[in-house]
Amino acid sequence: MPLRARRSIGRKLTVMNMLVSGAALLLACASFIAYDLISFRSLIVNNLTIRSSVIGANSVSALTFDDPAAAETTLSTLQADPNLVSAALYGADGRLFAAYRRASGLGVEARLPETIAVDDETRQSWSNDPGIIVMRPILFQGTRPGTVRLRSDLGALRDRLMRFVLIVVIVLAGSLVAAFLISRVAQRSIAAPMVELAKFSEQVARDRDYSVRAPAVDGGPEFEMFTSAFNDMLTEIEYRDVSLRASRDELEERVQQRTAELTSVNQELEAFSYSVSHDLRAPLRHVSGFVSLLNAHAGPSLDAQSQRYLTTIAQASARMGQLIDDLLAFSRMSRSTLTKQSIDLGVLVREAQAEVMGHTPGRDIEWKIHPLPEIAADRPMLRLAVVNLLSNAVKYSSTRSHACIEIGAIGDDRLETVMFVADNGVGFDMQYLHKLFGVFQRLHRVEEFDGTGIGLANVRRIIQRHGGRVWAEGEVDKGATFYFALPRERTL
Amino acid sequence: MAAVTRVAALAGMFVLAGASLSAQPKTSEYSVKAAYLVNFGRFAQWTSTPNADDTYQICVLGRDPFGALLDKAVAGGTIDGRKVVVRRITQAKDAPGCRIVYVSDSEEAQLARTLAGLGPSHVLTVSDMPEFTRRGGMIQFVADADRVRFEVNTASAEDAGLSFSAELLKVAVAVRRIRPGA
Repeated sequence: MPLRARRSIGRKLTVMNMLVSGAALLLACASFIAYDLISFRSLIVNNLTIRSSVIGANSVSALTFDDPAAAETTLSTLQADPNLVSAALYGADGRLFAAYRRASGLGVEARLPETIAVDDETRQSWSNDPGIIVMRPILFQGTRPGTVRLRSDLGALRDRLMRFVLIVVIVLAGSLVAAFLISRVAQRSIAAPMVELAKFSEQVARDRDYSVRAPAVDGGPEFEMFTSAFNDMLTEIEYRDVSLRASRDELEERVQQRTAELTSVNQELEAFSYSVSHDLRAPLRHVSGFVSLLNAHAGPSLDAQSQRYLTTIAQASARMGQLIDDLLAFSRMSRSTLTKQSIDLGVLVREAQAEVMGHTPGRDIEWKIHPLPEIAADRPMLRLAVVNLLSNAVKYSSTRSHACIEIGAIGDDRLETVMFVADNGVGFDMQYLHKLFGVFQRLHRVEEFDGTGIGLANVRRIIQRHGGRVWAEGEVDKGATFYFALPRERTL
Repeated sequence: MAAVTRVAALAGMFVLAGASLSAQPKTSEYSVKAAYLVNFGRFAQWTSTPNADDTYQICVLGRDPFGALLDKAVAGGTIDGRKVVVRRITQAKDAPGCRIVYVSDSEEAQLARTLAGLGPSHVLTVSDMPEFTRRGGMIQFVADADRVRFEVNTASAEDAGLSFSAELLKVAVAVRRIRPGA
């Protein structure tokens, strides 16, 4: 990255310099060459004109005294000029009198007009091949014996152009090398500080160390401004970073403190409830024990009223014992460790159904058990939860002559397994939903449905400890449906 | 003068046309010679001006072979700014005033005397007769195949106080430098 940065900015500067100098040089050379070629061309025309006048002067007698051989001798001196394509003399009547044609590898190349128009003007024109034609009348003592016509190709011009192009290429190459070397040196004053700053900012961004400061670079006032602004920003960031870190640390500390407090309070509370429950059992055992002793000892002698009192006391103490047992079980549930294993929910539900049915013989209950998946859970705990749900369903549908309980799994979610237990019992009012899963929270009186109010609290505790959730839907007299969702283990 | 050059060029054209036109009519030959006669003056220079006449006289001594051809050749022509005129003379002592004297074949018998008579007049002598340059004449027409050419004797010209330009000598068939009797 730093290498690339150096290359890119350095190369940009170098390329820019080379382009500028190259373009300027090229333009200068082009205009110089154009100017030179134009003047060289007029020089060629001038030379041709002069030569035509010399040839004309030397051909006067040949033309006058009708001696083409002498004229051709004169013309043949022109072969010294390799660029001269042809030379011709025309008589006063415009007819070809004598000619010289340059011999080339391809034979005689010039085609000469047999006649020309006679006039007194010196003419020059461009021929197609390309070349220059000069036509000059020969004037001699008031007579006009004929016309000279010279034709030159642009070989000289081309040679000159080639020489120029060669020179331009050499000069251009030399200049570009020079520009390259100079800009390599010059770019250091611009690119080097920039690269240094870029490297520095990259280091800051990577290390997130805002305590460092950009070093002063020698690159002009802009770089000083840039460095100073950058350092100001670093100072600001550092300040904010420090205060942010401080407040975060404080927050963390407070959270830890609160958590510790809550944990200890919760532990105290659970220890308290456990010891209370445990300590309550001994006096309760005394109560129920002495009630049965009293019943055995003086039962027959007591009147019906007293016997009913005793029975009530015995029932109440039994119920209290049940409450305490449940509470202890609930408390244990919170503390015991989870041992997850693969469980066939279908099998588990059948077991729970058998157990629940064993407690409630003689009921007409229609069971609809759909296929159920395998899940990963602590078997005893999950079994307890399922038993609680099933016994709930059985209990609250007891007022129905024909109870119907449906158990199944919903959907095919890859993240969690959702199981439901639906009954057609008394249902509940959705506005008391929040009370449904609380400890000792009951929506019905004991006289209607017995129970300690700890079953659903247990279900929720068990499912929550598995990382799942529970919820319910219901309507008064229309039945209730309880759901729990357990997260799927990827290992299964 | 335009006619002169045209005739000369016409002759050149015939030359270029090739050998098929070997037999030229006599009139054509003399029209060429007439044109040459005028043009010789343009290639000759006098060291002294023998007369200050404002005309440039071309004289025919003896029997005139040109007839109207010569008059036609000089019509409108000028040499050195002087109008060219034709004068026909019968004897050498009539020569003063002439620049160029065409010595006709009729003078061949008494040529030496005629040339001697022309001497003081400083004229350019031209003739058709054979051996003219060897006998003290200056320019002699020579038939070369189908073309009209000429020989020059520079010694005779020098004796008469005139010189030919190198251009003229260049196209001459022969340039001699002899004095008869020397």
